[in-house]
Formats: sequence, structure tokens, C-alpha cells
Amino acid sequence: MAEVTLRAITKSFGDVKIIKGVDLQIADGEFCVFVGPSGCGKSTLLRMIAGLEDITSGSLAIGGKEMADVEPSDRGVAMVFQSYALYPHMTVKDNISFGLRMTGHKPAEIEPKLRRAAEMLQLTHLLDRKPSQLSGGQRQRVAIGRAIVREPQVFLFDEPLSNLDAALRVQMRTEIGKLHHDLGATMIYVTHDQVEAMTMADKIVVLNGGVIEQVGSPLELYHRPRNLFVAGFIGSPKMNVIPGTASPAGEGRIEVTLKDGAKVTLDGGGATVSSGQSVTLGIRPEHLTPGRVGLKATVRLAEYLGSETMFYAALADGSEIAVKADGLAKAAIGSSLDIGLNPAACHLFDANGMAIIHGDLTR
Amino acid sequence: MFPRPIQKSAPWLQASYKVLLPIALIVWLLPLIGIAVTSIRPSSDLAAGNYFGWPTRFAGVENYTAVFQNSNIGWYILNSFKVTIPTVIGAVGLSCLTGFALAVYKFRLNLVVFFMFVAGNFVPFQILAIPVRNLTVQLGLYDTITGLVLFHVAFQTGFCTLFMRNFIKALPFALIESARVEGVSEWKIFRHIVLPLMRPAIAALAVLIFTFVWNDYFWATIMAQSADVRPVTAGMNELKGQWKVAWELITAASIVAALPPVAMFFLMQKHFIAGLTLGATKG
Ligand SMILES: Nc1ncnc2c1ncn2[C@@H]1O[C@H](COP(=O)(O)OP(=O)(O)OP(=O)(O)O)[C@@H](O)[C@H]1O
Ligand SMILES: [Mg+2]
Repeated sequence: MAEVTLRAITKSFGDVKIIKGVDLQIADGEFCVFVGPSGCGKSTLLRMIAGLEDITSGSLAIGGKEMADVEPSDRGVAMVFQSYALYPHMTVKDNISFGLRMTGHKPAEIEPKLRRAAEMLQLTHLLDRKPSQLSGGQRQRVAIGRAIVREPQVFLFDEPLSNLDAALRVQMRTEIGKLHHDLGATMIYVTHDQVEAMTMADKIVVLNGGVIEQVGSPLELYHRPRNLFVAGFIGSPKMNVIPGTASPAGEGRIEVTLKDGAKVTLDGGGATVSSGQSVTLGIRPEHLTPGRVGLKATVRLAEYLGSETMFYAALADGSEIAVKADGLAKAAIGSSLDIGLNPAACHLFDANGMAIIHGDLTR
Repeated sequence: MFPRPIQKSAPWLQASYKVLLPIALIVWLLPLIGIAVTSIRPSSDLAAGNYFGWPTRFAGVENYTAVFQNSNIGWYILNSFKVTIPTVIGAVGLSCLTGFALAVYKFRLNLVVFFMFVAGNFVPFQILAIPVRNLTVQLGLYDTITGLVLFHVAFQTGFCTLFMRNFIKALPFALIESARVEGVSEWKIFRHIVLPLMRPAIAALAVLIFTFVWNDYFWATIMAQSADVRPVTAGMNELKGQWKVAWELITAASIVAALPPVAMFFLMQKHFIAGLTLGATKG
């Protein structure tokens, strides 16, 4: 069993606090993805789990065992680095088997593991090449192969697919997914990529400025963001956020007056607001329908993607709004656009950015 | 592109380049050519004052034979090797270790230690001559090969450490971390990952230190006296002759003495490989 438990973990470099108290529980065999803006501490957190960075305070346990005084090598983790970190003077075969050879494993024991990893990653025909003779995707697979042969309980990946082209990313993504399925090991995966996070994760951890904003399944984060940051970070194109004021409208309903004067009445779902409270209305581009009565906007830009059309428009008060429409929809730039807004799909955030109401079409 | 290829510049520039370059080259090589030519002159030429003219006849064979017959130069060359090779091995070997330690480990006095190595290079070694001589005498190392080697190693390790530390610092640190996570011991990381990647640095330093130490005259005269210890730079003195300086022999001996560093350079040349870390990272 290799569940990973972080309790009140902090990390400072000198006087600068980078990780500001992280509590996290990752179950055995779970695929956990860390996302967050650049510099928020994803790599640092991962390196702390690997044991490459000291933990300033708090505790870390892997498989129930406290890791404070355990060397990286004894933690049962394998790490795939943001740069692949292949040993440039060794062949692929030597790269993959290096760790085992150096830790007293016998050749007879290493050989089958090497074969199996090479087959799994389709590296068999490349075993005698040097890293400099490999393509980016192949190097990436070698780096993963090096992790696999050690049969770790926990895999740590630091943006393994950045720098690969789109097609290769998709392919590697499914390969890593398959690997997770086959090995059943716990995997912690850092990425910048929305799609990677949404498709691969059992659990997404959204980090921002060294704290966890929200932990949850991909859909939970997408549909029930805890605050404005998560709402804006998960999903591409981003959720539209429109400032306004809210007032109770009777029968548990809430009336929101947007900045440009438009009014929307939401089902409060048990939530209450004080009269005139300033709020932010959030709505995803796909829940807006052009050509219906609702908001009035001027089209600034239209992207015709074939399967869908994205309109970027400005409301009367100047705030930007993105609308995802059918691929056949058309609007001239500069023309005015009526945008229908489904109240049931709206999210409402208070002045501190915390969610009051989540959109729910079943209501 | 920088520098701009000369073929692309103005014609007058190209012409002056073609004229000036050979002239500069000849001026630069003049002392070397002078020595080479003198070494094949008959001594009568020099007696007659024909220092820079065409040699009256080729006396190379007799001069070079005389060098080996009239002096112990063979012995001195052997001494030079006995001093230089252990020094190169000692200084380069030590600096691989010190450089690794200073580049890879974070410890409190890391920078202080490093700057001490660097600062040592700024001490003019002439002012150390007398204390070092006294010290060697006290230690019973005066006029021994061991003494010379020890002091050369001590003096060269500072520079070597600076060089090695910076070289290792420039290697991708993720290689070391990756090996650590794999459970490889620090010594094996040094031995199997860092050391192989240091090959170009080791070769460059080996040539450099070999040449420094081989050409050293200062410490050779200060710390060695007997013929058993004297390296070739100091030993050549013997050829001066009693009444007149036999320049044709001294120059011939100089040429002989200059050959090992040149040989060393060509021997090590194939290790000066660029881009050894290619493919380690995404690049
Ligand atoms: N050794 C260090 N010393 C000082 N500050 C550091 C060190 N390593 C990282 N930091 C700082 O810690 C913060 C988090 O860095 P980290 O590498 O974890 O970011 P990240 O979330 O992985 O970013 P990215 O997505 O760009 O890789 C950054 O602001 C960085 O400047
Ligand atoms: Mg990072």
C-alpha cells in the first residue's frame, strides 16, 4: 500500500516561504495531478515527496511510514524529471538498468525487467542507442522506462510531456494512462496542460501561491469550483466572470444585477445574500447561447473552429465575454449580439471570491 | 554571424588580412624558428657571428647526439617525468574530488572554501619561495622528487579545483538527483555519472598542468639540487659549457625538452569532445 499523506507541509528557501501549509491525502493507486500557474510550487512539492528537497515543517508519509529521515532512494518512489535527465554517456539499455546495476541487483534479475519495460514502451529496437540519437518522445519513454524497472510504489512525474509536439503528447498521454492501469501504482503528475489534467487524473490538486485552492475529481473542479481562482483556472477557454450586485428576490431566489444593468434571477439553492451585496457571476462559454434575449454585447473577435465557433464580445460596460456557439453560427465583427444566459448554469461568487452558488442544469 | 567571415568584408580589408596574417604569424613564430635553426647550426657559425643567417651546413645530427652524450639530459628528462606525471595525476585527481564536493554539496562553508582555493591562485609564488624551501628542509623533503611533487600538487590544485568545480556546476544537476532517487550511492554517482562526463575537462587540465609543471624552472631550481632530482629545465644548465655558451646545444636540448608537452597535447586531443552532455535534457 502506498498512499501518500502530506500534513501541514511548508517549505521556505531562505526567508521566502514557497509552500505555505499543504494538507493532502493521495490514495493507493490513485492518479493525482498537480496543476497551477507557473512558480506556484508544484515542482517543489513533488521534489519534497521525492526527498530531493528538505521539508521545512509538517510531515510526509508514504505507505503509512513517516519519511522525514528517509533517503530518496529508500522511499520507494521513482521520478521522471521535467528535463529528462538521461545519462548522456550511456546507451538506452544502460540508462534504464543503471539504478538496478548500481544497487546490487544481479544481471539475471535485471534482464527480464529491462525487456519488459522496453516492450511496454516500444524501446526494444533502440536499446543500444545513446540519448543524443533519440527523438524527444523516445527520450521521454526512456526516462519513464528508467522509472518503471525499479517497480516503485509511487511514480512522480514533473511535466513529462511539455516540449513534445501535440500528436506525441496525445500518444504519450494514453501510454502513461495505460501504464497506470497496468502497474496500479500511485502516480503524482505535475502539468500545465488542462487536457492532460482533465483526462488523466483521478484527483486534481489546484495549487496557487503555495497553497491548495481545491482538491477534487476533474468534473468536480470543473462544475463545482470552490472559488474564483479554480473557476478561472480549470477549463479552457476560461469561465466568464461578470461583476454585479445581488439581492434576495423571495422564495429563496437571488436577483443579480450585472454591471451593465442586465438582471438575472438565480435559484439560491439554500444560499442567501444580503441586499446589494457585491458578487461575481460566473458562466462557462458553452452555457451561453447567441441569438437569444439576455445580455447585449458587441462582437470583437470570432474564431471559426469548424466544430464550434468562439465569439469574443464586449458587454456595454466593456467587460469581455466568451461564447461557445455551434460551428455554423456566424456574426460579423462589430455587430451587436444578443446572448442568452441560462440562469441554472450560472455560478455565483461572493466578494472574497468564494462560491455561493454552483451552476446545475438538473435543478 | 559573428565573427563575420573575412570573405564577406571589403576587398582592401581582405588584401591587408592576407598580407598581415602571415607577417604576424612569422613574427610570432620567430623565436621558435630561431631556436630550431640554431639547434642545427655548427658551433663554428655561432663563433663567427652567424646568428641569424642561413646555417653554413646542417649539423643537426651531431648537435642532438652531443646533447645526449655531453650531458645527463636523458636522466633529467626522466626526472621531469617523475615529477610531472604524479603531479598531473595528483592535482587532477584531487581536484575532481574537491570540484565535485564544492559543486554538488550544499554545506555552510562551501563558498568560503571555494574562495580559498581561488584566492590561493592570486598569491605570487615568488614570495613563497623562501618559506617553502625552509619548510621542505624541515620536513626532510628538500631535494627529493616527492618534495617537488607534493608542492606542485599543492600549488596546482587550487586552479584545478576552480576549473573542475565550475565544469561540474555546469552539468545538468538533474542527472545527479535522478541517480539519487534511483538509490545510487554518492561515490557511484561520482564514479559512473560525473567522472565520465568530466572527460574533456580532465583532458584539458591534464595537458595544461603537464605543460605548467614540465616547464617549471622556478621550483626546480629552488627545491632541487642534485642531479638525481633535477628536472630537464634546470638540468639544461649543464650544457652551458665552461668557457663559452654552447647555444647550438642548449637550443637542441630545449627542443628535445619541449617535445613531451606537445606529445601530451596530441595524445589528449581526442578527449576534447564538445557536447558530451547532448541528449541528457530536452535541450
Ligand atoms: N532552490 C530554490 N531557491 C529559491 N527559490 C526557489 C528554489 N527553487 C524554486 N524556488 C522558487 O519556488 C517557487 C516555486 O518553484 P517551482 O519550481 O516549484 O514552481 P512550479 O510550480 O514547478 O513552476 P513551473 O510550472 O514553472 O515549473 C518559484 O517562485 C521559485 O522561484
Ligand atoms: Mg516545475
